[in-house]
Amino acid sequence: MTETIQVGAEVPDFTLNTYEPQTGDFGSVSLSDLKSAGKWTILFFYPADFTFV
Amino acid sequence: MGAELITVSCDTHFTHLAWHTVEKELADVKFKMGSDKTGDLARQFGVYLGDDGLALRGTFVIAPDGRLLFSEVNFLNVGRNVDELMRKFKAALYVAKKDEGIPPTWNEEGDLTLKPSAKMVGKVHEALSNDGNPT
Repeated sequence: MTETIQVGAEVPDFTLNTYEPQTGDFGSVSLSDLKSAGKWTILFFYPADFTFV
Repeated sequence: MGAELITVSCDTHFTHLAWHTVEKELADVKFKMGSDKTGDLARQFGVYLGDDGLALRGTFVIAPDGRLLFSEVNFLNVGRNVDELMRKFKAALYVAKKDEGIPPTWNEEGDLTLKPSAKMVGKVHEALSNDGNPT
């Protein structure tokens, strides 16, 4: 059982496959890349595609 | 503003493409759509509903140093309000620059903040009604 990440704690690195509407292509995004770019990351979970956001 | 918003569900990126292509409401939405097919990431953030393979409506803001700065989780049928998200995100950006307290009345830079000090203890009410200065 994985521990839930608490607010204030460090988020372990992750990589996700993506669909990127900007280019109309597939790609991937990782937290480590965003961190080295000095960016904030906002994860916006929703139940499933074809449901309302 | 130096932030990357990634929408995430437990669908594949193929389904993301299909949905984004079909649903006209998404035509102007240009955020990257992440696939958490295994639910591993959703599980780490405590938003995975294993029985259904769905993710709760969770928003998580991670600072450039990798720390989780705030989270908000709604149940399935409650949509999120972007203004609420932006207020908290702007607050997180602000306190990352300045060691000040953000009162609930704060909406954007320039609004009243609180500077923690010994004088402030027990005097928050006075400070809020006197330009941030406890009296």
